Amino acid sequence: MSRYAINSLLYHLKKDPALRARFIENPAAAIADADLTDEERAAFRAGDMRKINELGGYLHLVMSIPKIGTHGGH
Amino acid sequence: MGQIAFGGAMSHVLDPEYYQAACGDLGRQKVTEAMEAIARMGDRLVERKPDALIVVADDHMNAFSFNCVPAFCVRIGKTVQRMMQDNAEAFDKVLEHMATEYMLHEELANHVLEQGMASGFDLALSWEAPIDHAFLSPVNTLLGSRPIPPLVPIFVNAFIAPQPTARRCFQFGQHIARVVAKSPWTVGIIATGGLSHFPELLLSRVGQTDTVFDRKLIYWMERGEHEPLLDLTADELHKTGSHEFLNWMVLLGALTPARAEVRYFGELPRINLAAVEWKLG
Repeated sequence: MSRYAINSLLYHLKKDPALRARFIENPAAAIADADLTDEERAAFRAGDMRKINELGGYLHLVMSIPKIGTHGGH
Repeated sequence: MGQIAFGGAMSHVLDPEYYQAACGDLGRQKVTEAMEAIARMGDRLVERKPDALIVVADDHMNAFSFNCVPAFCVRIGKTVQRMMQDNAEAFDKVLEHMATEYMLHEELANHVLEQGMASGFDLALSWEAPIDHAFLSPVNTLLGSRPIPPLVPIFVNAFIAPQPTARRCFQFGQHIARVVAKSPWTVGIIATGGLSHFPELLLSRVGQTDTVFDRKLIYWMERGEHEPLLDLTADELHKTGSHEFLNWMVLLGALTPARAEVRYFGELPRINLAAVEWKLG
C-alpha cells in the first residue's frame, strides 16, 4: 500500500500554491504539522525527491510539483 | 444494433517539447513520428463517424487522491473539465493549449455504468473528476482541429496498489463490448499509456524501459492471442514499467478476438512510444 502521509503532503504541495510557497520559504515550518517519520521529515527538509520517492512518494507527484519536483533524467 | 467501429491504443504524453526536454532531439523526432501516426489513426476514426469515443486511461493523482481511488470509474454527466494546474510542469504542461471543457456521451456512459452494476461490476461513478493528459493528449492528437466526439472517460487505477487484475480489466472490456452491441451507437474506443516506462515507479529508474517485455505484449496482440495476457501479474507490470497496460487490457476485452496492427513503435530511454490500431469487421 502507498504511504499515506508522504503522498498526502506531496499532493497538497502540488495542488495548494499557498502551502507550496510556504514550503519554498521555510520547509521545516511548512511541514511541522505533517505526520511524518524523522527520515521522511529530513527528506522533505532537504528537498530530496529521490529519497522521498524511495520512501513511498508517488513518482508522478514527485515529478510534477511546480518549482519543487524533479523531472528525472531521460 | 451498435458497434465498435474503431479501436486504438497509444502513449499519452504526446508533446515534442516534453520529449525534447527529456530526451533531446531524438525524443522530439520520435514523438513527432508517433503523433503523425496517431493523427492518421484519427483519420480512420473520423471516417467511421462515431457517435461517441470511449477513452480508457489512468489518473496521475490529479482527479483522485486520498478521498477515493476507484479501481474503475465511469465519468458521467454532460461535460468534463480538463485538469487545471497552476505553474504546470512536465506532463501536466502538455494540457495547457487544450480546450478546458469537453462534451460527454451521457447515455452511453450511463449504460456502461448501470448495466455494469447489474452484471456484477462494482463500478465507481463521478460527476466531477477532471481528466488529465492521459485522456486529453491522445484525444487531441487523434482529432487535431476536427470536432471531438462526445467522450466516455473511464478511469482505471493503474498505479495505486492494489490495482485491478489484468483479467478483471479484460472482463470489464468485454462488458463494454456487450453494452455497445446492445446500443444504437457507433463507438470508437481507445486505451492510453505505455508502453514500458518508469519501472517500479522509482525516480532512480526513470530512463529505463523493458523492450523485450513490450515486444512480447505486441506479439500476442498482433496474433489476437489474449489468453497469456490475462495472467499478467501486478508484480510483472510494476517491474517492467507496464502499469498502464491495464488500460490496454480493458481495450483488448472490448475488441477480442481482433488483431492489432502496430502503427508506430519507437524506443527512447524514457519510454517506448507506441501507437496501435485493431483490425475490426
